[in-house]
Amino acid sequence: MPINLKTAVVETREQRLGTIIGWDGKASDLSHESAYARGGCASKCGPKARRICELRGPFTQGSICSEQMVECQAGNVRDAVLIQHSPIGCGAGQVIYNSIFRNGLAMRGLPVQNLHLISTNLREKDMVFGGIAKLEQTIRDAWERHHPKAIFIGTSCATGIIGDDVESVATALEAELGIPVIPLHCEGFKSKHWSTGFDATQHGILRQIVRKNPEKKQEDLVNVINLWGSDVFSPILGELGLRVNYVVDMATVDELAQMSEAAATVGFCYTLSSYLAAGLEQEFGVPEVKAPMPYGFAGTDAWLREIARVTNREGKAEDYIRNEHARVKPKLAELREKLKGKKGYVATGSAYAHGLIGVLRELGVEVDGSLVFHHDPVYDSQDPREDSLAHLIDQYGEVDNFTVGNRQQYQFFALLQRVKPDFIIIRHNGLAPLAARLGIPAIPLGDEHHAVGYQGMLNLGESILDVLAHKKYHQDLAAHTKLPYKKWWLDQKDPFLFARSV
Amino acid sequence: MSIVETKIRDLPPASLAPAKTNSIEQIRYGCAIGALQSVAAIPRAIPITHCGPGCADKQFMNLAFYNGFQGGGYGGGAVVPSTNASEREVVFGGAERLSELIESGLKILDADLFVVLTGCISDLVGDDIGAVVRPFQERGIPIVYAETGGFKGNNFTGHELVTRAIIDQFVGDYAGEQQTGVVNLWSLLPYHNTFWRGDLTEIKRVLEGAGLQVNVLFGPESKGVSEWKAIPTAQFNLVVGPWLGLSTARHLEHKYGQPFLHVPVLPIGSNETARFLREVLDFAGITAGPARDKAEAFIADEEARYYKYLEDFTDFYAEYWWGLPAKFAVIGDATYNLALTRFLVNQLGLIPARQIITDNPPDEFREEIRAQYRRIADDVATEVDFEEDSYAIHQSLRQTDFGHKPPIIFGTTWERDLAKELKGVIIEVGFPTSYEVVLSRSYVGYRGALTLLEKIYSTIVSRSA
Repeated sequence: MPINLKTAVVETREQRLGTIIGWDGKASDLSHESAYARGGCASKCGPKARRICELRGPFTQGSICSEQMVECQAGNVRDAVLIQHSPIGCGAGQVIYNSIFRNGLAMRGLPVQNLHLISTNLREKDMVFGGIAKLEQTIRDAWERHHPKAIFIGTSCATGIIGDDVESVATALEAELGIPVIPLHCEGFKSKHWSTGFDATQHGILRQIVRKNPEKKQEDLVNVINLWGSDVFSPILGELGLRVNYVVDMATVDELAQMSEAAATVGFCYTLSSYLAAGLEQEFGVPEVKAPMPYGFAGTDAWLREIARVTNREGKAEDYIRNEHARVKPKLAELREKLKGKKGYVATGSAYAHGLIGVLRELGVEVDGSLVFHHDPVYDSQDPREDSLAHLIDQYGEVDNFTVGNRQQYQFFALLQRVKPDFIIIRHNGLAPLAARLGIPAIPLGDEHHAVGYQGMLNLGESILDVLAHKKYHQDLAAHTKLPYKKWWLDQKDPFLFARSV
Repeated sequence: MSIVETKIRDLPPASLAPAKTNSIEQIRYGCAIGALQSVAAIPRAIPITHCGPGCADKQFMNLAFYNGFQGGGYGGGAVVPSTNASEREVVFGGAERLSELIESGLKILDADLFVVLTGCISDLVGDDIGAVVRPFQERGIPIVYAETGGFKGNNFTGHELVTRAIIDQFVGDYAGEQQTGVVNLWSLLPYHNTFWRGDLTEIKRVLEGAGLQVNVLFGPESKGVSEWKAIPTAQFNLVVGPWLGLSTARHLEHKYGQPFLHVPVLPIGSNETARFLREVLDFAGITAGPARDKAEAFIADEEARYYKYLEDFTDFYAEYWWGLPAKFAVIGDATYNLALTRFLVNQLGLIPARQIITDNPPDEFREEIRAQYRRIADDVATEVDFEEDSYAIHQSLRQTDFGHKPPIIFGTTWERDLAKELKGVIIEVGFPTSYEVVLSRSYVGYRGALTLLEKIYSTIVSRSA
């Protein structure tokens, strides 16, 4: 289904892709139920993604909202301002994303600065009379204080409910100030999964920042859709004579604008890159590299070959692939020896988990369980070459205990009991503390590029060895702690007990 | 005689200063539902949040994680129970959803007290939370509710709403005796104040050293709900800080006929702590006799130990070659701002250059807070500003005359870059403190004051080369 840039409001993931947040079974079953070729979806669900039966129960724990993802994307554009049109509480997110922004800038060698987020600080009376006057004031404050290259406006549950007309004020001030003023509709209640917030940001960027009619084409420039990760893509793509344009976090507005001039778009995770990459191809003819993600040998090989094909650099890729295989394989063999008999568990975002499980299997680490925070039955391009779950299963085999759940800690206990891993890999908060109390150490992958490419396999292997040593800490803790769950619940084998009995 | 007379003289004329607007850049507090952290601060209490999917995560991650990396506590953290309200709850109301969340939660969660907190969605669509919670209360389940939609105020407001909800709906009526020498402590805002655990521990320690029994109510030293149940049996309520807790104390006075003592200055250092203890002892009626003697012996003992360390520190303070800061600024909530300013002026002889209170104290308390700064020492008066927008705060710091030496700024992570710009030193002492890991560290009382000296001067010395 094509991306619709005509309206200011992004279509949610569940509307576009049929995204689910509750499922439990074998990875191959989920793959079959999903929309890609093997599911035979086309005849049944038309342009919409195939619907998968979803588990829903009465008990839920705090999730994450779309607005947070807007903060961590639009709010981390270096020369823009993000206005949070909301009561002050949404603004609390400034703290975490400032810390991540600063540390990310430092890791990438960019000048460290605080982010530029401003709350309109709506109060009770604004809920009655509307908050538009305050929004206009804050836009003016943003301009006078920082003279940004663009101003993003993130909406909130409160402004969504009271129905503030954010577009009108944005349009008027865009004309007056001469910079893009971009409403991003990201009310938390609108989507069941926070990744809609990625799409909301990318939607606004596609509509109002990306250069519409680029005068030049930069045939050696590749858009890399990422977060704050270390610069591992420049050396890799440099081998092909390509330059990297990192977006969205820590980019400048001009770097966002020049995306339409690039030769191709890639990402490290289709969950994050799906919307923007598809939009750039659809609207600006910048090809999205449709291949498995760059994890493990097969994925990285195919990914590089496809980039090389799209950018007309086939020969160079083969040299690089050959050399890297030769360099990495002996080291990988050493790591496999050290990691023999170890069992890992991946609990991360959806597509990212598919990649990481592959890397663990390359390392000889057993993986018979994984939790992904949501599942997209299809990505926006609808191209089966991007079917990351199928790639995992085809290359590396079944994952027996494959669970979809939006970070529900109370279920995580039973999930870990099923497989009893030696360590877990995780990015989002909330689950590792439970694993820690059970004596299981976690690798928090702050640098999302850690496991990317050939070197990524070695990186992750080394990190596993490091974290296995941590086990001492966690086992000591486990002997001295109590979980906030009743014994009855901890004795249950089925984490979806309530969902199934409803 | 006033040897140091600082005024609001360095601010530009009003016409040049940017007009104050609604905008808040780089926030310094959360919203009312941030009080879910006040619940998490009570041992074996669990918050149940009825709000959008991001609210609990947001308040926790920012108030408790990227603020000293304090952690989530027993049943707290990002994954407290939440309705994760969706479009359905917006359109049709969320009462039913909340009810099923509570009902199922009771099967899963092991807690002594549940506190339901609502967010913007519920408060805007008008869910009748009382009607949802009351049937559970009638079943004898320890559960209360507070309506804490973000637009109602900040997490200080939320803290008082939650405190009051627990008192009114869980502690309940009491007509029995009150026990002499027992005191309920109302002071720092849990989690928001990065050092609250260590500080409450130290305040409790010194009060108990002086012979009182303390219901500390929050944090690792609290006995949990049994302590809350014992609130009405205390002799009096003790509010330590310029304003937070006063409305609770007034409510308790009305509800249980319990008097309260308000000590605006959270004590740091030997002199302040001794003065504090004597004021509390006097109020408790322990003015003479063996109990007072024992308390005085404790004070003397603590004082002797404190000054032994201070003497040793003096070699450094008097002889260090490479220059120590003279002027300081404090940017923080009213409680810590006032406490630090008094200590830095009176104990260390530093010169206050700019004090900015950032927690938006209710107007009724501001004049008294200003008066505190005007008599910060016998011979030092200073002015204090109230501001929550970091842009304005930073502009004000840029326009401050810090004299010939680099300043020392007691502030937050937001001031890190500014301190560099001013070639000064930053000590992160308040929300958000994203570059400190804080466990039991305290900066108050006798022991905390010495830790604070270590922190200040280690930071300065470590920059030397």
